[in-house]
Amino acid sequence: MRRLKTLIAGAVAVALLSGCGASAAAPAPSGAVTGPAAVAPSGPPSGETLVVYTNSNGEGRGEWLTKKAAEAGFKIEIVGAGGADATNKLIAEKNNPIADVAFGLNNMYFEQIKAAGAIAPFTPAWAAEVDTAKGDQSDSKAYWPLVQQAILLGYNTEKFSADQAPKDWTDLWTKDEFKSRYERVTGLGTATAQLVFAGILTRYKDESGDLGVSDEGWKQIEEYFKNGTPAVAKTDLFARIASGETDMGQMASSVIPEREKSFNVDVETVMPSVGVPLAIEQVALVNGTKKQDEALKFIDWFGSAQVQGEWSQQFNSMPVNKAAVASAKPEVVEFFNTLKQQDIDWNFVQKNMGAWVEKIELEYMS
Amino acid sequence: MFRSPAVLVAGVVLTWFIAAFLVWPNANVLIQTFFPDGNFSGRAAEKLFSSPRAMKSLGNSFLLAVALSITVNVVGIFIVLVTQYFRIRGSRILFLGYATTFIYGGIVLAAGYKFIYGDKGIVTGFLVGLFPGMDPGWFSGFFAVLAVMTFATTTNHMLFLTNALKGVDYQTIEAARNMGASTWTILRRIVLPMLKPTLFAVTVLSFLTGLGALSAPQVLGGRDFQTITPMILTFSNSPTSRDLAALLAVILGVATILMLAGMTRLEKGGTYFSVSKVSAGLQKQQIRNPVANAAVHIAAYLLFAIYTLPVVLIVLYSFADGAAIQTGRLSPGALTLDNYVRVLTQPSGLRPFIISIVYSALAALIAVGGLLFVARLLQKHRNWVTSAVEYLLHIPWILPSALLALGLILSYDHPNPLVGGAVLTGTTVILLIAFVTVKIPFTLRMLKASFASVNSSLEEAAGIMGAKTLYVFRRILLPIVLPAAAAITALNFNSMLDDYDTAIFLAHPLFQPLGLVIKANTDGAEGVDGVSNTFVYTVLLMVITGVTMYLVYGRAGRKKSKPAAAGGISKDNPPPALVEAAPAESVRVP
Repeated sequence: MRRLKTLIAGAVAVALLSGCGASAAAPAPSGAVTGPAAVAPSGPPSGETLVVYTNSNGEGRGEWLTKKAAEAGFKIEIVGAGGADATNKLIAEKNNPIADVAFGLNNMYFEQIKAAGAIAPFTPAWAAEVDTAKGDQSDSKAYWPLVQQAILLGYNTEKFSADQAPKDWTDLWTKDEFKSRYERVTGLGTATAQLVFAGILTRYKDESGDLGVSDEGWKQIEEYFKNGTPAVAKTDLFARIASGETDMGQMASSVIPEREKSFNVDVETVMPSVGVPLAIEQVALVNGTKKQDEALKFIDWFGSAQVQGEWSQQFNSMPVNKAAVASAKPEVVEFFNTLKQQDIDWNFVQKNMGAWVEKIELEYMS
Repeated sequence: MFRSPAVLVAGVVLTWFIAAFLVWPNANVLIQTFFPDGNFSGRAAEKLFSSPRAMKSLGNSFLLAVALSITVNVVGIFIVLVTQYFRIRGSRILFLGYATTFIYGGIVLAAGYKFIYGDKGIVTGFLVGLFPGMDPGWFSGFFAVLAVMTFATTTNHMLFLTNALKGVDYQTIEAARNMGASTWTILRRIVLPMLKPTLFAVTVLSFLTGLGALSAPQVLGGRDFQTITPMILTFSNSPTSRDLAALLAVILGVATILMLAGMTRLEKGGTYFSVSKVSAGLQKQQIRNPVANAAVHIAAYLLFAIYTLPVVLIVLYSFADGAAIQTGRLSPGALTLDNYVRVLTQPSGLRPFIISIVYSALAALIAVGGLLFVARLLQKHRNWVTSAVEYLLHIPWILPSALLALGLILSYDHPNPLVGGAVLTGTTVILLIAFVTVKIPFTLRMLKASFASVNSSLEEAAGIMGAKTLYVFRRILLPIVLPAAAAITALNFNSMLDDYDTAIFLAHPLFQPLGLVIKANTDGAEGVDGVSNTFVYTVLLMVITGVTMYLVYGRAGRKKSKPAAAGGISKDNPPPALVEAAPAESVRVP
């Protein structure tokens, strides 16, 4: 009897104690969604712990940033999550935010988060050094661009010469020689897949069509799924290219060099005449953070030409900050200079992406 | 039943817990999903029922659930009988082989089977050599998924059926044999009927496993056999499609509850314990027909090979580089310790392991400890209040864990009177609460099943001698169900170690559990190392879960012959299960 009583008493005590701790630690958030853009006060960092949400912590990025930030006097705790998970988490926590800063998500994700009121407008010290067309398009800017990636169609050069290779995504399902030679996705959960579809659907914009896209556009999606070989869970596209199961598929520009080496394949990418979609990773200030000044100082430091240059050098990425481009790897800069950016109406895409994903999952995937 | 103060206290705590953590958060998330602006929207149903893919995937999930309920029982009962009931040569080795499912699962398990039977697999290569006309891609689709999931999910049989089998009174078997009953008749008419409550419980679990199948269909299902879970996960991640995810989850949940109700009805009214005054421990049976004996031996060792090969390969591949794993080419010279060095020398080091072990242990102990008494009450007193409570406790089976987590955030991101005006988001407690709630249905099912096989005359005798409810519970019932409780605790602990779906939403930023670290190191977009990291983490988790199972089972097995330490009324005449119970004392819940 005593044991059970102790157990119940213990459980109640735990519940009560945790309750007290929590209420003491969590005052109600303040700060409105709209309002003047915040700027960092001058002065050195205070060293308060900042909680940073990101989907860009893999391959040692998280550790590298934590270390560099510490050298600059910032104490950060990185919480890694996939793009969709991080988005949902930020929105779910908006009444009592846990994070102070979020970065790495692209404009589609941040637009959703902004619409939910979970991030606040601010102006970083490096605002003049970035192309504003790559960040928040509205007047009250709540996210700012850091790094860009191209979303590409890559093919195995052993199987196709540059002349024989497809010239655009649409060739994959309209020309017989590519049918069932390309990998198609089995889910639309990733940002890369969503951007591929944004790049295709945006060409068929039609006010009167279903979800703003003409029947012709939806026909492309149907053919894409019908003629591709499905991706295999936990087997990288490059592994499948290496074993000859498939010859081409979607890939983000930053991963190509490293995977070519690991799987010992040579991949070339397609440059459609309409251009390629860019995924632009952004940084944002969480609305209602209790450490706003420190968070803003951190963003000023992180987005600066110096840090972005080092980051690009370290992780083969292409910085948006123009002053940082000089420190990026020359081959990366060269690649982006020759690349044509596809003109995508992001407002249109952001408004419809959720419904597109749903329609594709329900009607076209098989 | 309400005369005992212990029952009253338990009732009050239970009511509060159900209201605060099962009903309120999930009602919140469902209301927000289905009534986005105050009006019910039938959009989700319309969309889903007009989608051939959704309907086909849903059908596949149900097909798999029904098929698994049968196949897992067949294989599960067989392996329990050959390790515990029949006299089979090398049964301890066999047990270890079959027990490998305790320590691993998920995507790596499916990958392990693919290394062997997939188009580049070892067995496939051998078979193609024998029959050149054979399709190397033979191991895919419904058959492959069913086979892998059948062999992967006999864990519950191994644990709980073994326990239940040890409770069978040997005298009834002897008596039957004296009356001329054959081995088969004894099995069918005496042994299996005694195991019914446990069989019903594990059948519900197999059904649920089939409905929720995720990684096996993704890896082996191919184009023709995809299930509904990947779609639920995609939709629950998208705010605009969350109603579809919730509706699908509710459909699966209702099916599970119906299955549960059916099983409860079947279970009702039976007597699942020996009524003899002095029951005897089980002795192993010799199969007397030599042909049958040989056939059973061959089948047992064939199964042993099927169970152990994937584990061996996974361990081997964990030393290979990511490219070798994904292309299926393994050369002995290319095995290095690099993967382990990389994983174990991360700056975060062992911290995530420790955080996960603490969270999982606490949650496992709280779930089992809290439900021990509750399960007994629900099993003994059957009226509309207890059945309502029982069904409410199954709520976590209805919703996917991502939605459960969102419900907790929605409900406790502001001061809430249900928890004394506290804010739970951003604290370390909220993840613990989620872990405990997620484990309630499984814990309750298995505990109830083990209470059902307790001879009620022991309890009555104690009652007549004046023992109070709690005394009877503590001194008589608890020792009998402890082996089962220890097994449940161990399984709960193991299953939460690498949780990601709950932790991603609820973990405290300074106390991030292992699941998040694994995800960061293994995601598809994380490079070639990602895949080898997955294997390393799987092997490391195998070590932790293996140690857990050893602590619970290995030691219990070794000390089998020692007399029971449980005192009190049953001291002089312990039921067979008691002998097993005593050594498990060290893992007894607080």
